[in-house]
Amino acid sequence: MSEPEASAGALLNPADLAMLGRLDLAHHRPLAGLYAGERRSPRFARSPEFADFRPYTSGDDFRQIDWKAYARLDRLLLRLYVAEEESNLNVVIDASLSMTAGRPPKWPATLRLAAALCFLGLAAMDRVAVGVLNRSGVSTQHLRGRDGMHRLWAFIRDLDPAGAARPEDLSHLRWLRHGLVVVLSDFLVEEPWEPALSALRGRRMEPVLWQVLAPDEERPEFSGDLKLVEVEAGSNRELTITPGLVAEYRRALGEHRQRLGRAASGGGGRFLHTDSASTLETAMVDGLRAGVVVRA
Amino acid sequence: MQFLVPAAGAALLSIPLIVLFYFLKVRRPEVRVASLMFWRPNIADRQANAPWQRLRWSLLLLLQLAAALALGFSLMRPGLAGAEGVGKTTVVLLNGSASMYATDVAPTRFGAAQQRARDLAGQLGPGQDMAVVLLSEHAQLLASPTSDSAVLRAAIDRAHASGGGADLSQGFSLANALLKGRPGGSIVLIGDGHAQLTNPPAKLDAPLTYVSIGASDANSAIEALSRGADGTVFIRAANYGRSGSDLTVEMRADGKLVDVLPMHLDGNTADQLLWQGLPAGTQVLEARLNPTDALAIDNSAWLVTAIPTHHKVLMVTAQNGFLERALNLRQSLDLTVVKPADYKPGASYDLYVFDSFVPKGALPTPSLVIAPPQGSGPVEAGELIDPGGVLPADPREALLKDVVLKDVHVQAAARVTVPSDWHAVMTATAAPLLLIHDGEPRIAELTFELHHSDLPLRAAFPILIQNLVSYLLPGGFENQVFAPGAPVTLVPEPGATTVEVQSPDGHVTRLAPPLPIPPFTQTTQIGVYTVTQVLSDGPHTSRFLVEFQDPAQSQIAPGAAPLVNEVAASAGQQPRGTLEIWPWIALVALALIVAEWVVFLRA
Repeated sequence: MSEPEASAGALLNPADLAMLGRLDLAHHRPLAGLYAGERRSPRFARSPEFADFRPYTSGDDFRQIDWKAYARLDRLLLRLYVAEEESNLNVVIDASLSMTAGRPPKWPATLRLAAALCFLGLAAMDRVAVGVLNRSGVSTQHLRGRDGMHRLWAFIRDLDPAGAARPEDLSHLRWLRHGLVVVLSDFLVEEPWEPALSALRGRRMEPVLWQVLAPDEERPEFSGDLKLVEVEAGSNRELTITPGLVAEYRRALGEHRQRLGRAASGGGGRFLHTDSASTLETAMVDGLRAGVVVRA
Repeated sequence: MQFLVPAAGAALLSIPLIVLFYFLKVRRPEVRVASLMFWRPNIADRQANAPWQRLRWSLLLLLQLAAALALGFSLMRPGLAGAEGVGKTTVVLLNGSASMYATDVAPTRFGAAQQRARDLAGQLGPGQDMAVVLLSEHAQLLASPTSDSAVLRAAIDRAHASGGGADLSQGFSLANALLKGRPGGSIVLIGDGHAQLTNPPAKLDAPLTYVSIGASDANSAIEALSRGADGTVFIRAANYGRSGSDLTVEMRADGKLVDVLPMHLDGNTADQLLWQGLPAGTQVLEARLNPTDALAIDNSAWLVTAIPTHHKVLMVTAQNGFLERALNLRQSLDLTVVKPADYKPGASYDLYVFDSFVPKGALPTPSLVIAPPQGSGPVEAGELIDPGGVLPADPREALLKDVVLKDVHVQAAARVTVPSDWHAVMTATAAPLLLIHDGEPRIAELTFELHHSDLPLRAAFPILIQNLVSYLLPGGFENQVFAPGAPVTLVPEPGATTVEVQSPDGHVTRLAPPLPIPPFTQTTQIGVYTVTQVLSDGPHTSRFLVEFQDPAQSQIAPGAAPLVNEVAASAGQQPRGTLEIWPWIALVALALIVAEWVVFLRA
């Protein structure tokens, strides 16, 4: 087993890595990078992938003239190729206390998902950084390569949930770079996400809101007279849980997800959700379905 | 309104208890959740969950209080003033006469009367009893005084109307007997007014409430169906309603329609038809009135035209024209008349009639012995005495059917003592006049000489002789007509091994083996009953009829209350039953509980 793989032992297993090796992240907004990479750039450059023709103008590199086209058309045309450059992947983890709730807890599933996303980004020669949503100064640098993978996973493994997270925290993250911003959270806050996502869009970032909920948060199975205690604020509410109330809960959750989806679309991004009991493969299938992940 | 179980009002204490529960704290287990944003307060949260908090009204609380209130009230068995006539002890007289089969009231008059009786049984309060008496040919006690409405309802359900009249006098006598020693009693008569009072106004020991059943008088009936010697069929139909009626008479030979005869009958009139279209070889002819009316059982009549089995009868008499003529009325009898001096024992006959003569040695059977000489006879005759007034020994005796003894006198009869295996059918003040041997062999003995009585001059005489011959002769029932519900004595032919009776609906009842067979009592249906006997030479088929021909019952117009002499009448307000309404209140309570549960679930 290679070193990065060994260091990821607690988060990803070899089967996960094999499965992730067949996938890639989908960047819907090509952005110009600093170094060559595997992401399509808005610029044209020399590369094996043909992009377009354009007429020759004075000053163009005549090495790019398509002489065969000249022979057929008697016109000087330049062959343009897709520039493949690196891109940035920003993985934002919600490390609030609410991520410890649910059965099975959402926190390990979130870390595993974050590790998998880092693997996908690094495998595509992206620069990847991981940070915490509710702690603006806690993040890694944007890293590349095998060594970067080791450091990213070590960072992820050492995280502990604490405090609360709010949508405006996203606007305070200065370490984010243009590119893909994947926010892993349960998104169980009432404040709107639209302002923060609009700000990201303005910074040429493509947000992906990936909601992780526990199965019992999707479909509560408890009933009767209960005292519900919110893990973050400690506030409580005494309720008699009835099938009708559970139905109302699920209806409200559905509406909340619709709002999140609209907010993500408004920010030029996407929203998807998965549950903490799912395997990583199932989570990736959710990503494929939402267009966040594609087959390599 | 009154409450039958006021002590059950203690159940209403549940109301403050429910309110108290709304002050009690519920110890709730804690569940950690990521957010409360989707757990919105609902109506369930307003249940009691904090100690001594201010009471907040909620729909759940109101529903629970209403359900408790309704349950408490229903447990107290509230009741309204119910039907009249329900006293401390109530005797319900159910008219079970044939007119109660009328369907002018759904399902039938008798069914409606049963329902009224059931309603009364459901209105008994604490300490109240009820008895149920069915009035038919004889009053029949269906249920002794009891407060158990289930027992009363079961007894009422078992009752059914008869094919005859209803003796109201017997019913009143029985009611008086039941109410003896039970003050505060009442009598409720439920019927259509066709129960007969055979005596002058009855004396009742309790107030009478008459519940009239019936709505219409429209009814037509076939009163008679017979055939003359020339084969002409005589049909007589009557309209007992006030309105005229256009009718048709369907003539069916062996079940096949052969003719339809139109007929118009004005209200309360009768008319007859002569019909000569009887097909040769017809076994059973049926005349059926159309359209059917409220009382269907009198719309059909049958005539068995099949030639009955002939029987040889030997009459040994010096001279008795009355008896000879009466026996010859039965066409199936081959009568041989010999003088006592010419009688030779050993000759085989189906029936022996000995008039003022008893052969020496064993008496051949079956036999009818009339006026045996003193010191002889199957029941030894004593000296002649003046017997006094003639009476039926038992009014229910089938042998006296249609036999009126009111104007019959007997000058002299032999003094006899009734042996244990005999019973008297006709009796007089001083001595029995007609004795019948119980079971086999069949022997009847008249203890007086016919010439010493005016009986042969009465219409009752040929009827009595026919009844006796029907009883004594094998197959005496053949082609005879019986009233619905009347028992039919079926004497099988000698050597018969199996006897079966097929009812008009096709149901077959096997009566033998074993022999002898009891009287056949399943004669509630009208129509043709077929008797099949298996003899050594094969099966032998004969028939008898069950018909309803009672003009008094065919007049179905609801009658007025009977004239009675009430001892306790006008002694204050008529007693009333208690119409319990707790089932409805309990239903409301159930609905409230269901509503509370739905509100609780759906929040």
